[in-house]
Amino acid sequence: MERRLPQFFFALSLIVLALMLGAVWQAASPAWKTYQQEFHRLEAAGEPNAAAKADVLNADLVIRQDLLPGLQRVDRCTTCHLGAEDPTMKNAPLPFTFHANLGPHVPAKFGCTVCHGGQGLATDKQNAHGMVPFWQEPLLPTNYIRASCGRCHKEGEVPGVPELTEGRRLFETQGCRGCHKLNGVGGTIGPDLTEEGAIRRFPEWLEKHFLDPNTVSRNSPMPNFHFTKEQARALTFYMLSLTSEQMGSYYSSVRLIPSVGYGRELFVEKNCIACHSIGGIGAKGGPDLLGIGKQHSSGWLDEQLVNPQTIYPGSIMPAYDLETNARKAILIFMASATAEDAQAILSQRTKPLTPRDAAIEAGKQSFARFGCVGCHGLELQGGVPNPNSQGGEVPSLLHASADYTEDEVIKIIQNGKVPPVENAKGPAAPLYMPPWKGVLTDEDIHRIADYLWSLQKKKDSW
Amino acid sequence: MNPIRDAWQSVFRRDPLSTDKGKSELVFLNVWLHIHPAKVKKENLKVKHTFYLGFITFFLFIILVTTGVALMFYYRPHPPQAYQDMKDLQFVVYLGSFLRNMHRWSAHGMVICVFLHMCRVFYTGSYKRPRQFNWVIGVVLFLLTLGLSFTGYLLPWDQLAFWAITVGTNIGSYAPLVGTRIRELLLGGHTVGEAALLRFYVLHVAVLPAVVTLLTMVHFWRVRKDGGLSRPVWKLKPETSTQLVTIGAPEPVAALVAVTASKEKTYGLMEVVTGKPIFETVGIEEEEDTVFSYPYAFFREGIALLVTVATVMAVSLFWKAPLEQLANPAKTPNPAKAPWYFLGLQELVSHSALLGGVVIPGLIVAVLLAIPYIDPNPSRRPADRKWAIRAFTLFVVVNIVLIVIGTLFRGPGWALVPPWVHIVGAE
Repeated sequence: MERRLPQFFFALSLIVLALMLGAVWQAASPAWKTYQQEFHRLEAAGEPNAAAKADVLNADLVIRQDLLPGLQRVDRCTTCHLGAEDPTMKNAPLPFTFHANLGPHVPAKFGCTVCHGGQGLATDKQNAHGMVPFWQEPLLPTNYIRASCGRCHKEGEVPGVPELTEGRRLFETQGCRGCHKLNGVGGTIGPDLTEEGAIRRFPEWLEKHFLDPNTVSRNSPMPNFHFTKEQARALTFYMLSLTSEQMGSYYSSVRLIPSVGYGRELFVEKNCIACHSIGGIGAKGGPDLLGIGKQHSSGWLDEQLVNPQTIYPGSIMPAYDLETNARKAILIFMASATAEDAQAILSQRTKPLTPRDAAIEAGKQSFARFGCVGCHGLELQGGVPNPNSQGGEVPSLLHASADYTEDEVIKIIQNGKVPPVENAKGPAAPLYMPPWKGVLTDEDIHRIADYLWSLQKKKDSW
Repeated sequence: MNPIRDAWQSVFRRDPLSTDKGKSELVFLNVWLHIHPAKVKKENLKVKHTFYLGFITFFLFIILVTTGVALMFYYRPHPPQAYQDMKDLQFVVYLGSFLRNMHRWSAHGMVICVFLHMCRVFYTGSYKRPRQFNWVIGVVLFLLTLGLSFTGYLLPWDQLAFWAITVGTNIGSYAPLVGTRIRELLLGGHTVGEAALLRFYVLHVAVLPAVVTLLTMVHFWRVRKDGGLSRPVWKLKPETSTQLVTIGAPEPVAALVAVTASKEKTYGLMEVVTGKPIFETVGIEEEEDTVFSYPYAFFREGIALLVTVATVMAVSLFWKAPLEQLANPAKTPNPAKAPWYFLGLQELVSHSALLGGVVIPGLIVAVLLAIPYIDPNPSRRPADRKWAIRAFTLFVVVNIVLIVIGTLFRGPGWALVPPWVHIVGAE
């Protein structure tokens, strides 16, 4: 043994050296280098002369990255997806294929992961595509990628993605907020959805869940709303777009996409028709707007909306605090607006309501907006199954005034209510009335009660 | 005048090896032979005596310092950059992943080895006179190792780190009166946040390593001054064992030698010496058992170093250090677990916060520190100290069992779940 010590020492030194070489080899041969070499060969095939070919083949292998401080991301996808911005790579195989229809969303400004998902920092396929444990945003399947538009474009319509608008509409009208919180407003029965698109990106699961919650989540308290396939798809899109990620100022300034529809909405909201007319229809306080786009440059018109005084000192036109793209939308709408539009807008203008009716209308809005309809029904008919509660379903509110005083109803809305169980030994009923005290103001709650009572009176008079 | 030779001799200050003076100076002026005795007892070198656990622990510390310094070049102790730096180490830094793996696995290895080293020292009774205080230093080094590992645990700033430290520091806050204060001092706030990350970083890369280095030096020096490693227990003869361990004890019957002070001299305090030397002396009959430290001890230690390095490197080539999602204070994993070496404590805390979080760990540390002083048995022979060995074995086994239960058998809500049962939706 004593004599062998030096030999032993030497052999071990060789093993340590071998391990060092192993580590160096492991570190020096990442998969992205293979991809880059393959891409260089692909490029070289298109070069006419030998010198150019050699230049391309001998180009350095480097990690490419888009630094996106505004999106708090670093995307290294183009390390392998080398042809993304090269139109000649239109027919190249993956991962080198050209990305068509990028429009203004160039990788240098937007990166890739904000739309596609995946792990931008990674430089090997499995990690980069996010198909690893502990990465919450795996690559989105192709047919769901458009849902990502809604991550930035949170308001207004997104051209080519009607699903988002529809999903948002369904969410606000079907009473989802009764159980789910979104951006701090909503019930507590179901999970908070504020980060749904950021933490649980499983589109197939979501879609199945909307068609029938029980198929993917057994004993889910979520009622089956019997959505159509299109509605389920729309809601899935909307869910995938939900994230509270902060976007830099550049991104938030262009998040509104100017469109005729959005321009019209603003035209109505800002009540332009109160002073202006289109094709002679409307008020005569200001100039007629028909064909105004042809008479003035868009810069001039834009200035009119921002600061009318600089163009006509003493102008009675007020200055509007609108975002660039909101102003663009109004101009687009005005360019195509006709007398018929003006007529339609005028006829839609609501007559002033009495204070009592206004309160009831506000109550109705709140009732829908805070998701009461999710369980109690659009017509307040109730009927959503609630196993082991008395009656087995969520109660109808049509006869609230017969069973309770208005003060009692206000107390129930404020403090919530757990429904009495039918079978005392069985499990508690999955659905219950959450307390709304911190979420709704007292005024909101009173108005909702007013709304419930107003329906009651109508029923009586019938 | 030969300037090159002059320069050489300014660095290696010995005469040429062709002279006898040069040969002896090679030994006398060698720093390694300063830390080692020139000769060591042959039996002390046997693997089955120490398993070289102290050396392995020290080598792991060296690996940790080396890889740690390299990792510091790439690390910013501020959320969320800290986490991004982990990703960069994994994906773009040359050898970054390997370095981090080495650092991580060495850290776990060091906690294990320092504990095993402590067990070895207990079972061989090596903490007894004159080595009592070195045991105390050893226990402090063990606690500092846990502190190093614990502070390093937070630095990746992922979910694992964040919640392990949250749970770990919560255990500390159960101490009455001062508990929450200590937690606040450590975290720089009420919760784990950027202040906590910075504090843990400073403790991890500066304060604790410095203290550990200092205490390690004292630890080694005392071993050297106590005559090297303790004798293997199989070399202890029943009749001499008592005599051996009493060496260094104050001799109550020995008459003090009266020294007549000379009037012409001024005496420094250190010159006034009474009694016997405190270290074990090599008896004449043992002289034959000794061998020269070089090469016998040196090669063995070198082999221990190479085995340690090779093992850590091999493990790091094939197993990745864990990295979970970015720390998210709003999303508590279920169950949230402390680092594995504190899971025995967490297991106790789950039964009683005060008892498990304060009383028992406090007692354990106090008893560990006091062992050399409360063990009245002067003998080191296992046959003479059966109950001490049984008690310590019980402590070790209970510790391991609790850690295994906490690590493998605790599922969501800290319910008892065997590791082979998978709970759907637990993640």
